[in-house]
Amino acid sequence: MLKNYFKIALRNLLKNKVYSFINISGLAIGMAATMLIGLWVADELTGNSYYKNRDTIAQIYQHQTNNGEVGTGPAIPRPLEFALRDKHGDNFKHIVMSSWNQPRYLQHGDKNINFQGNFMQEAAPEMLNLDILYGEKNGLKEKNSIMLAESTAKALFGEINVIGKIVKENNSTDLKVTAVYKDIPDNNAFYDLRYIIPWKFYVTHQEWIERSKDYWDNNSFQLFVQINDNTTMEAVSEKIEKVKQIGDPDMVQYNARMFLHPMNRWHLYSDFENGINVGGRIENVWLFGIIGFFILLLACINFVNLSTARSEKRATEVGIRKSIGSQRGQLIFQFLTESFLVVLFAFVIAIGIVLICLNGFNNLADKAIVFPWTNAWYWFASLVFILITALLSGSYPALYLSSFNPVAVLKGTFKAGRFSSLPRKILVVSQFTISAALIIGTMVVMNQIQFSKDRPTGYDKEGLIQIPVMSAEFMGKRDVMRNQFLSSGGAVDFTTASSPATSVWSNRSGYTWEDKQPGFQEDLAYTNVHYDFVKTFGLKLIEGRDFTREFASDSNAVILNKTAVEYMNLKDPIGKYIRDSDTEDPNEPLKIVGVVEDMLVQSPYEPVKQAMYVFDQYENVAFWNLRLNPTKSVSENLNLIENVFKKNFPNTPWDYQFVDEEYGKKFKSEERLASLAKIFTALAIFISCLGLFGLASFVAEQRTKEIGVRKVLGASISQLWLLLSKDFLTLVVISLVVASPIAYYLMSQWLQKFTYRTNVGWSVFAIACLGALLITIITVSFQAIKAAIANPVKSLRTE
Amino acid sequence: MIQITDLEKFYRTEEVQTIALNKLSFEVKQGEFVAIMGPSGCGKSTLLNILGLLDDPDGGSFKFNGEEVAGYNERKRSDLRKHNVGFVFQSFNLIDELTVFENVELPLIYTGVKPAERKKRVEEVLEKMQIMHRRNHFPQQLSGGQQQRVAVARAVVNNPKLILADEPTGNLDSTNGNEVMDLLIDLNEAGTTIIMVTHSEHDAKYSHRIIRMLDGQKVTENILA
Repeated sequence: MLKNYFKIALRNLLKNKVYSFINISGLAIGMAATMLIGLWVADELTGNSYYKNRDTIAQIYQHQTNNGEVGTGPAIPRPLEFALRDKHGDNFKHIVMSSWNQPRYLQHGDKNINFQGNFMQEAAPEMLNLDILYGEKNGLKEKNSIMLAESTAKALFGEINVIGKIVKENNSTDLKVTAVYKDIPDNNAFYDLRYIIPWKFYVTHQEWIERSKDYWDNNSFQLFVQINDNTTMEAVSEKIEKVKQIGDPDMVQYNARMFLHPMNRWHLYSDFENGINVGGRIENVWLFGIIGFFILLLACINFVNLSTARSEKRATEVGIRKSIGSQRGQLIFQFLTESFLVVLFAFVIAIGIVLICLNGFNNLADKAIVFPWTNAWYWFASLVFILITALLSGSYPALYLSSFNPVAVLKGTFKAGRFSSLPRKILVVSQFTISAALIIGTMVVMNQIQFSKDRPTGYDKEGLIQIPVMSAEFMGKRDVMRNQFLSSGGAVDFTTASSPATSVWSNRSGYTWEDKQPGFQEDLAYTNVHYDFVKTFGLKLIEGRDFTREFASDSNAVILNKTAVEYMNLKDPIGKYIRDSDTEDPNEPLKIVGVVEDMLVQSPYEPVKQAMYVFDQYENVAFWNLRLNPTKSVSENLNLIENVFKKNFPNTPWDYQFVDEEYGKKFKSEERLASLAKIFTALAIFISCLGLFGLASFVAEQRTKEIGVRKVLGASISQLWLLLSKDFLTLVVISLVVASPIAYYLMSQWLQKFTYRTNVGWSVFAIACLGALLITIITVSFQAIKAAIANPVKSLRTE
Repeated sequence: MIQITDLEKFYRTEEVQTIALNKLSFEVKQGEFVAIMGPSGCGKSTLLNILGLLDDPDGGSFKFNGEEVAGYNERKRSDLRKHNVGFVFQSFNLIDELTVFENVELPLIYTGVKPAERKKRVEEVLEKMQIMHRRNHFPQQLSGGQQQRVAVARAVVNNPKLILADEPTGNLDSTNGNEVMDLLIDLNEAGTTIIMVTHSEHDAKYSHRIIRMLDGQKVTENILA
């Protein structure tokens, strides 16, 4: 029986090549898109699956309240480690202090390469269960040691068994390789952990870190823990909640509350709003999951529509089969078998499409997904996927076709009823509603990105570069380098900063000033900068002046941004003082010498934070900032600057960043979202049009005689075109009417997450509607015009 | 074999109700060859559909082999049909996507006959219908006469007790028509009951009895042999 079903299904497919092509290719494209999204979703959902201890590993986060606003983050102060070990040690298997992931030059022989990595405490390899290839897990015991990822060892030494060999870090200290571990796979936390250097080294390496051991308000570190098996994340969170307030009573006013953020939630649930975990990437997982389902649904709708539209062609077969004894159930099974076969073909083609597109998709989605050939779960899921698709697309046609009355069919009086096309129309409306909503949604995402890109940044990003100078070799060279850079002619201005131009690495509180409201809990973005800060960055001064060598008193000066002046409620700020209650010499307050226009350095979707730019008297420098010489070409400037750099640091690789490029990276996540949305929207439209094309050709075929008669009676080609096209255009108009409010509501909700946001303007709807109508006209017209220009004699004879 | 009493069938549209069969009664014995004649719209085909268990009467009694089958559900009708009734249609009604062999094989598949047995029986019947040489052809590659032979082969392959033929020669020229009628005669002589709806007096003469209908009722009955 099954063989008979397959045989007839195959022959039907071969006989109706156009329909088969539309069905199979539409389904294949839809399935391929859904499979790619499925692989992406699986990759997202299996994040951190590398870690065997992921159920018990957590990072310590803290909530802190400033003026009623709860901020949440992973940055913690050093004394927390000691408090946890002393007071709560019995809750933990491991406590691991860590630096932030940071770039570092590692040198061996003539190779000097920049790698990302962390400084971590001894238990890190054990807690993370690193796969040690050579050496020991306790490789962080000795201060001057280093553990290397396999790829790092290969890059530096050309081999991986390098235990005992020496690596020079940042051109200064020799470290002995104590272990080589397997690289951590991409969709896991610490995937970019290309080296681990002992925490002991970090602490003694820089003075401020050493000093920070007593400061509860210096939130500059990370702390990871593994809890004991006999406790829970919630229980431990509860126990450690007040530890910071106990350690430093000053923190009571900020209601500093510590808690564990479990590793299982790092990847998908990392966003906090006013102290509450509100999700994170999980939103994208849902978004693309839904888009994937919709694309598949669109392809299935094509199958349903074309199968039912062509039902009259299959009616005779149904009648015959029924007359010779087939029961309805058998017919339903037969038609489901056919849809299964079509879906199976489509699946095979879809795999081909996925394999071809996977690289491009990975680039677009910033992933390293590999096709899971050997994963039994994948094939099982694929089988379920095929069955679901077959049921989704085959059920209605199977029920519909098997319901025909054999008497009517065999008598030749069978005609699909007056309302038989209604479900088809509803499905076409659904298809175009989904497509139109996707068009509108994608346009809003693109508009929001453009809107944020067009936002004034308050400084001149063009022609500004930053050179990372975080290692000790650069210390004390600031003035020498400034002079050399400027005299080289490659740069016209020079300053330094403790944070990159596109971020703020430090936030501070604990200041007092005249007219400060009692109980006001300030939270200020803090950056140390140097002479010519305003000039180099191209900032607009609102009042006051830049830091300048002409004023010796500038060693205790500060420039505020406009928002900070409003935030601190300062009237006539120039010349006023801000006192830092934590400085060793509280008698040396910071004098406000300038107020600048807001400089957008953090999220382009959020308001600019109140910021203070404090003159750097202790050489707290992370970057040298240079304004390139506008009279020379960029490459010329860069050559001149590089020559100066190389002359002074011959063993350090030349590294720099264009500030405008760094700023552009802020849109990466949304741009990625927009690119994927664009592609999937295009696919949705294509699949819908494919279905429309099929239906249009069916209608043209069905109405051949009518067209012939009308033509003989004098109908023009344009009248016939309108006759055939208007039904489809009406359906698309209905879709647009349905889609518009839905899309408006959903996109308004999406925009809510950006403080700085565009509106869902009418132009988006106008463009989407015109676009959809135009696409429909093009799709339908091909068949309509073909039918309209056919020779009426011929079309009448075919009857 | 067949006993119908006061059989009724109505067709309703939104505004009118048409009586297709109006208290029709007659009997057909095992081994008979009965022709049913009458003008278009007199209810012949409706009757044939009810006799073939494709349709259900709205009133009256229909006994098949002594068993009341009026009111049977679709499943029971289908079961009875596939074991007892073979159809021959005017327009042959072969499945275009299946070969001659596969078309004839189809009823055997539905009755669950094993593949080897199916092959044997299909070949036997194709030989008998002299169409064996066309076994791998598709319907559209055959002449009308050949297609109707295949349809007859399909109708008889399951050895049904009853063959219902709805104008079996209506789409054929006289030579092919006569050949088909000869086939039906052969089957009847071998013991199969045949009820044939026809407009052709010539074809009707092959039968044992002619029932003439008008407006859903029997008007005359002529016994020929």
